[in-house]
Amino acid sequence: MNLPTPPSLPPAARAAAALALGLGLAASAAFAQAPVGAGQTMRIQINSDIRSTDPGGNRDDNTDNVLTHVVEGLVALREDTSVGPMLASKVDTSADGLTYTFTLRDGVKFQNGAVLTADDVVWSWQRYLKPTSGWRCLPEFDGKGMTKVLAVEAPTPKTVVFKIERPSALFLTMMARPDCGGAAIVHRSSLGADGQWKEPVGTGPYKIKEWKRGQYIELTRFDGYSARPEARDGLTGGKKAEIENLRFVVIPDSAAAKAALYSGGIDAFISPSPADVVEMRGRSDVRVDTTPVMTMVALLLQTTDPLLKDVRIRRALALALDTPEIAKSVTEGLSAVNNSVVPSSSPFYSAVQAGGYKRDITGAKKLLAEAGYRGQPIKLVANKRYEALYSAAVLVQAMASEAGINVELEVLDWATQLDRYTKGQYQSMAFIYSARIDPSLNYEMVSGDKAAQPRKVWDNAAAQTRLTESMVSRDKARRQVLFDELHKQMLQDVPMVVLFNASDATAMRKSVTGFKGWAPAKPRFWNVRLDARG
Amino acid sequence: MLAYLLRRIAMTVPTLLLVSIAVFTLMRLIPGDPVQLMLGEGADPAQLELARQQMGLDQPLVTQYFVWLRHALTGDLGVSTTNGLAVLPLIWERFHVSAVIVLTAVALASLIAVPAGLIAAWRKDRPTDLAIIGAATLMLSVPSFWLGLLLLMFFGQYLHWLPVVGYVPMSEDFSQGLLYVILPIVTLVLVETGVLTRMSRASTIEVLRLEYVTHARAKGVPESQVLRRHVLPNAFNPTLTMIGLILGHLLSGIAVLETVFTLPGLGRLMIDSIFARDYPVLQGCLLFTACIYVVINLIVDMCYPLFDPRVSVQ
Repeated sequence: MNLPTPPSLPPAARAAAALALGLGLAASAAFAQAPVGAGQTMRIQINSDIRSTDPGGNRDDNTDNVLTHVVEGLVALREDTSVGPMLASKVDTSADGLTYTFTLRDGVKFQNGAVLTADDVVWSWQRYLKPTSGWRCLPEFDGKGMTKVLAVEAPTPKTVVFKIERPSALFLTMMARPDCGGAAIVHRSSLGADGQWKEPVGTGPYKIKEWKRGQYIELTRFDGYSARPEARDGLTGGKKAEIENLRFVVIPDSAAAKAALYSGGIDAFISPSPADVVEMRGRSDVRVDTTPVMTMVALLLQTTDPLLKDVRIRRALALALDTPEIAKSVTEGLSAVNNSVVPSSSPFYSAVQAGGYKRDITGAKKLLAEAGYRGQPIKLVANKRYEALYSAAVLVQAMASEAGINVELEVLDWATQLDRYTKGQYQSMAFIYSARIDPSLNYEMVSGDKAAQPRKVWDNAAAQTRLTESMVSRDKARRQVLFDELHKQMLQDVPMVVLFNASDATAMRKSVTGFKGWAPAKPRFWNVRLDARG
Repeated sequence: MLAYLLRRIAMTVPTLLLVSIAVFTLMRLIPGDPVQLMLGEGADPAQLELARQQMGLDQPLVTQYFVWLRHALTGDLGVSTTNGLAVLPLIWERFHVSAVIVLTAVALASLIAVPAGLIAAWRKDRPTDLAIIGAATLMLSVPSFWLGLLLLMFFGQYLHWLPVVGYVPMSEDFSQGLLYVILPIVTLVLVETGVLTRMSRASTIEVLRLEYVTHARAKGVPESQVLRRHVLPNAFNPTLTMIGLILGHLLSGIAVLETVFTLPGLGRLMIDSIFARDYPVLQGCLLFTACIYVVINLIVDMCYPLFDPRVSVQ
């Protein structure tokens, strides 16, 4: 029997084959034209889209990172995290610390061509200080927090005077905070006719060219930029937009971002994982910049918990941990241990701050016995969005078990963990704090009245008094003493075990030159060059 | 036919209403505060409260639901708490991206899988059958994200034939746009072809056993005609049902693939809105997804009589 003839392809299948062939041909044709505009647009990975273009408003780290290229404030952070003038040429402070006079630089223009005047500064600040502005740092300036701005005046077109209610050591620091949008001065045309935010018309070296939501935001060089004469210095100093366009591309998946970097699809990959950094260092076409940053990873212990309210158990847990090993393992050796809330890259990081916990299993067991601990479980909350937290939690669990402490991991998504943190609903928690640029702000994050704000980790009246003084005092030596005392007290109270300050990595194609990371973990792409494609 | 259509459309109203209640309630049951996520770990309590008021999140849940429903009935699904964009245009924009990929991939997969299943069934237990079913099982077993990453690395990273990241709408630049969707489409085609081939083969085997097929062969009808005229139309309906289910499932978001290929599609929008607790966007997405399922089921139901006259729409 002969086999019957198989059925011929129906017309639809033939059309599909033709389409598939067409796809292939189109791919080849388009690939042949791919490297267009090489050397003019730098493509930088960000792991999620920016939230808005309103500085210090609806924001996150990516938003801040992009907008620092577009807008500037009167002052800005220097490389050493001190504060220096940016749009101001100088800042004078009255003897009582209640009046700040900013003299504006000559020749500064907004991206619409208008010349910066003191009136623009007043307008920007009046907008920030409106109760409904949504500005992240409003509480620091409206009297709820650090101080209250009583008046912002423009006695001359080049002079702006701020009058504040009570002196503060942190007034300029708060202005310069990147998460406050650097208190950016924007032109009033940044708002639409309806008074709603439209787009920043700032004074930075780049301006927004195109924002494709969920895909990328592209900045283009502002040709009328007036650079400061000094060298690059943190977020101030001389800035030069060497590359015509910066395109921040949204790539949430790190494996895809890595493939894109290796293939030349992007030029820079911000914050690859430590494991990826190790891999990338072995490649000839990629360079990795690593910098210790002020981001803090810590193990929080709930001091109101029935079990952990006993300081002996908290101390035993601290003694059970080999924190240098945790820091080394979690970061693949990129970060070293730091048991202090003061970041190791801070100018206030003294020999006292370098003191910390030493692993002592015998001592831990002794404390546990004294406290009558009988293996009750201690829930440790972590998440996998921040891989370092999960890895640290696993190590904490293993190390604690050696001392007989029964730690149980509870892995949540970040939003849920943040909610628990805010409500203080946890026994212990591996947590990450974003960078703060002054030790007072670091301590303020964790210290306070738990009844009023359950998110506060350390509720100690004496510590609070020292912290308040550190926020007012402008005497650096006195502040150092206060921070050292706070550190020693925290080691005693053990409301948390600070593990390490993260190291921030930025991986780049070899064609990228001039990039330099720095402690506040804010990547800067001015004064960066893109040579022939690597 | 028209009466049936209208009745089915009318039935979608209570379905969507129930979906909206379920979605709204479930979203609020998930721990996590969109305002806290927006303002960060150091946010001031007064600021948090003010933001909640501005977003209407301080209202009782029932009030929030009815406010949302009232707006939804007029086509206004609110604005994203993440970026302030209107939800409906946002969903529609993202849906376009997913739809181009899914519709092309499912069409190609169907055009490959239906004949492949037919041939496999026709050559049952022979090497051709084993080869087809083996390939289908392999495709079915490979996780789509892994396959996607492999293709990405091979064609993007090593061969440099295709872009690794990004997206250009084909409406803006057809040839460039095509480059960005080839790999996601190929990945989906490979995975879905496996599912559909198995379904097509199974239903064809059933039909090949029926008496009218034997009768047609006995009459001397050429085998190709037997398969095309007598077997394929009768075996196609179960596969059509499966195609409908796959379409509904995929059109509601290919989140993993969209993440791997950095495509701004509906799936990634949903994932991002879950992590950001962006209630309006997630509610809108899920309602939209429910609508897609309803519409696709309706279309599939309408298509049955076209392939099998024994089925009538009443």
